[in-house]
Amino acid sequence: MRPFEYVRAVDAGQAVALVSADPDTSYLAGGTTQLDLMKDGVLRPARLVDVTRLPLSGVTSTGSAIRVGATTTMEELAADPVVIERLPFIREALLLGASTQLRNLATIGGNLLQRARCRYFRDPAVEACNKRDPGSGCAAITGFARMHAILGTSDHCIALHASDVAVPLVALDSVVHVQGVDGPRGIPLTEFYRPPGDTPHIENVLRHGELITAVEVPLLPEGARSHYLKVRDRVSYEFALTSAGAALVIQDGLITSARVALGGVGTLPWRSWEAERVLRDAPATRETFRAAADAALEGARTLPGTAFKVDLAKRTLVRTLETIAGARA
Amino acid sequence: MTAIIGAGIDRVDAALKVTGSANYPNDVAYPGLAHAALVRATVAAGRIRAIDTSAAEAAPGVLTVITHLTAPRLDRGPMTLLGPSPPAPIQDDRILHHGQHVAIVVADSPERARHAASLVRVEYETVKALLDLDDPRAEVTANPWNLDTDRGDVAAGFAAADVVVEGTYTTPDNTNNPLGLMSTVAIWHGDSLTVHDSTQWPHNVRTSLAKIFKVPESGIRVLAPYVGGGFGAGLRMWPHVILTVLAAREVGRPVKLVLTRPEMFTSVGHRPHSVMRFKLGATRDGRLMAIDADGVSPVAMEDDDYEPVSLCAATAYGCSHVRTRDRQVRLNIPCPGSMRAPAEGQGNFGLESAVDELAHALGMDPLELRLRNFAQADPESGLPWSSNALRECYRLGAERFGWSRRTPQPGSMREGRWLIGYGMAAVSYPAYQVPCQARASLHRDGSAFVRSAATDIGTGTYTVMTQLAAESLGLDVSRVRFDLGDSDMPYSPQAGGSGLTGALGNAVHLACRRLVGDVLDLVRDDANSPLRGMKLDDVTVDQGRVHRVGIPEQGEAYSDILARHGVEELSADGRSIPPRSEDLGMAVAGAFGAKFVEVRVDPDLGLLRVARVVSAIDGGRVLNEKTATSQIVGGTVGGISQAMFEDTATDRETGRIANATFGDYLIPVNADIPDIDVIFVGEPDPATPIGTKGVGEVGLVGLAAAIANAVHHATGRRIRTLPITIDQLML
Ligand SMILES: Cc1cc2nc3c(=O)[nH]c(=O)nc-3n(C[C@H](O)[C@H](O)[C@H](O)COP(=O)(O)OP(=O)(O)OC[C@H]3O[C@@H](n4cnc5c(N)ncnc54)[C@H](O)[C@@H]3O)c2cc1C
Ligand code: SF4
Repeated sequence: MRPFEYVRAVDAGQAVALVSADPDTSYLAGGTTQLDLMKDGVLRPARLVDVTRLPLSGVTSTGSAIRVGATTTMEELAADPVVIERLPFIREALLLGASTQLRNLATIGGNLLQRARCRYFRDPAVEACNKRDPGSGCAAITGFARMHAILGTSDHCIALHASDVAVPLVALDSVVHVQGVDGPRGIPLTEFYRPPGDTPHIENVLRHGELITAVEVPLLPEGARSHYLKVRDRVSYEFALTSAGAALVIQDGLITSARVALGGVGTLPWRSWEAERVLRDAPATRETFRAAADAALEGARTLPGTAFKVDLAKRTLVRTLETIAGARA
Repeated sequence: MTAIIGAGIDRVDAALKVTGSANYPNDVAYPGLAHAALVRATVAAGRIRAIDTSAAEAAPGVLTVITHLTAPRLDRGPMTLLGPSPPAPIQDDRILHHGQHVAIVVADSPERARHAASLVRVEYETVKALLDLDDPRAEVTANPWNLDTDRGDVAAGFAAADVVVEGTYTTPDNTNNPLGLMSTVAIWHGDSLTVHDSTQWPHNVRTSLAKIFKVPESGIRVLAPYVGGGFGAGLRMWPHVILTVLAAREVGRPVKLVLTRPEMFTSVGHRPHSVMRFKLGATRDGRLMAIDADGVSPVAMEDDDYEPVSLCAATAYGCSHVRTRDRQVRLNIPCPGSMRAPAEGQGNFGLESAVDELAHALGMDPLELRLRNFAQADPESGLPWSSNALRECYRLGAERFGWSRRTPQPGSMREGRWLIGYGMAAVSYPAYQVPCQARASLHRDGSAFVRSAATDIGTGTYTVMTQLAAESLGLDVSRVRFDLGDSDMPYSPQAGGSGLTGALGNAVHLACRRLVGDVLDLVRDDANSPLRGMKLDDVTVDQGRVHRVGIPEQGEAYSDILARHGVEELSADGRSIPPRSEDLGMAVAGAFGAKFVEVRVDPDLGLLRVARVVSAIDGGRVLNEKTATSQIVGGTVGGISQAMFEDTATDRETGRIANATFGDYLIPVNADIPDIDVIFVGEPDPATPIGTKGVGEVGLVGLAAAIANAVHHATGRRIRTLPITIDQLML
């Protein structure tokens, strides 16, 4: 690990100023992504600005939405009474992620900005990785691709966005609130991430130094049912091969409102408007769910190692929707 | 006195371990301790064109950087019981595998050493690496261990068979990954050397270092009182140990090296992948007529490993016509090495899957098929077994498991969306034992100290040897101290091959018996002793006393005898020699086992859950029910892990291991492990005085096949490639 300087920020303004002024300075929250990658020599900042002591922690409710402070930990958010009551699939997604120890450290801001789990990205001994070293190629495409994306990929990068909680968050049209040197702004999560294209090293629309201060999450309407299902290679403590987060309002057997997003398959937390369109105003039947799943996975691009994920993702979504529909009764 | 042997007493070192006071090699500290880090090759084959250490040498705190350009010439280590030693490191510019050590950096802190190591720049001239078993350029050795079997007439056997099944089974590379990162601390004092090491065999480290560094063995002390697991990774003295010792000599300070987890994947061996073919023929009533097996697995350039994967077919069943063939292919890979149940772990998956396929083809219950082909005598020698309770394993295991509830048709058992499968497998584990020594001393107060240079890699050696010595000397366990893990103690072989408990236990037993004999010698002519003139067979020992058999009043306490004779301490040595079938007129048997598994499969999402495991084990005499059960439970977890999770992935292009971290290399978490039920059956084995058969590996073997067989029963799908993953089970 490259030796670095550690600064504990006293207020948000100072933190933003420090990081914005220096491309070699990064934020540090729980450190579960940042420090891992520094130890592995993937990230080599000269200075870290610790934001965990800033007054950015906690969940407040406005009646129609909650505002989650950026340094709220995954465990804290999962234990929030409004989340338990009104956004149960967020709680499910959180508690199916990482491990208790990690969730006690990891923050929501950091979770949204977690970096690719791609094995080739995480080992600087590998030369070809466009995300780590733009223009160097992509070792995953010719190597082992399994924990990789099949939606939103490009010829330059197929890395997955592996966050679980971002899946329900993007389904809910959450808004990321940030503060920069030019003041605050709100960015819809659906517009927050950038697909890899030919610049996979640029993962989102944040400007260097912009600080995430909060995530605003609209509540589900009364009567909505939600579920997050995660399919993975071991029962716990593992990223998703495929996952689905969905919320439905079903009235008299008819779906009146639908929110659907997928994990484990996209280069970004994958909102599926296509699936939502199929579901809306359709009967809550297996056929509808299957059609929605087909629509969601249309355009998937696979490699030999990821080919099975198309079918698995569809089945995951169908199971999720069936579970919601079944739970209604 | 309550029985000491068999009782599930707590580990004698438990308190030390749970309070963190057991000193593992990476806990060792010395004043002035320096820290080492390794630089590893990033190509799989070629030469080092240039190596630039200037930035590393200039980095803060760096004491030295040693490369092939600056290293002294070192001899290769000696031939050992387990084959040749690995080649000495950094002797020339050749690269034979990705991850090969190319330099060692020493600094005043581990962080500085690691940082400096990242600054070493190496340029390579690469050649196309040999990475594939099928590569036509690769050197193939037929019958590399001279263990190929030809028994009877295989062609005639198949001709007489009504039903023949044949399948190709593959297992991937697995990496041992003990929790404790392998560590070495080396300190020179002139020409003498002390080494703390995560080894399973201190004497091997001593002998090897003596040869390599050309110093007398008497000047080398190797310490391994606690080792954070091994699973075979500590059986050989690997090159990083040599590098640490070399570095300590260069800097004139104690040096510590702790391998990183990624380094554990390329530095200390692994279970090599294998491709195996098993062909079985049987009569319609299920009599095995012929077995034809072959297997191939890779080995490193210029190194060796023992993996006769097809050999298990030779002795598992009573079958007159058997052929086994093994081949080894030299590749540019880190050297494989024994991993818990080497060869058996792979071979049994193929063989026991094939037996299940045969049962299915015959329409016969797999348990019944195995019972019908029970090997009454050792199929190779024809000698009767020294002991073999495999049929009791089958019977009692099946009973405990509820095997009779199994309905034969695949897919016929379900619960909601879960398909349920019952599967089983048998294990005949080979016997293994080598000579071992121990020394027992009796102190004036009648307490005893017993020791041998063995290791306890988590298996419970400290505990069971304390129990054995206590029994042999007639002392309470609290009056016996057993110590190990120090090459200054009497010679012990490796903790491996499920052979240490037998070898060491018999040595401890002999030493203790001798000691009692020496006590009798003291009073041979002692008019004041009620034991005067008695021989070992005339007496028994109990509660710190020696007395005449059957007459407790006629005896006296050790302490009284020693005091009266003014003896401060009495010591005796014991040396055990492995039993030989020829001498006994019996085939020395290893452990046997029957594994029963219930799985649940969600065929929609491809989910596989192991719901229950019953292992019935014939391990001969069980010295400690608790530690023996732990061995089987731990082995079972290892077997589930082999079946469903572990898969070391090597990049086809570069030879780099692509998942050398615990984030990417899956092992089970607690939630993946069901209730594990263990029952011990059988009797003490008469081949040796203490009657054990070794239970370190039999617990792992059979799980992979039992799980795959259960998956077939649940789904009708036959999985012949490990690990069994979601993508194989989406129906
Ligand atoms: C072993 C392991 C298993 C895991 N399993 C899962 C899983 O199953 N599911 C899942 O969803 N996640 C999983 N994770 C990822 C984990 O959730 C993330 O690492 C964590 O949420 C990151 O949060 P953090 O606070 O530790 O961020 P840090 O590591 O501190 O920061 C991450 C990044 O965000 C930046 N950053 C942090 N806070 C801010 C802010 N307020 N404003 C701007 N930039 C900021 C940092 O500079 C850094 O680049 C796992 C991680 C590990 C190590
Ligand atoms: S998939 Fe993306 S992150 Fe992985 S190697 Fe390719 S470019 Fe790098």
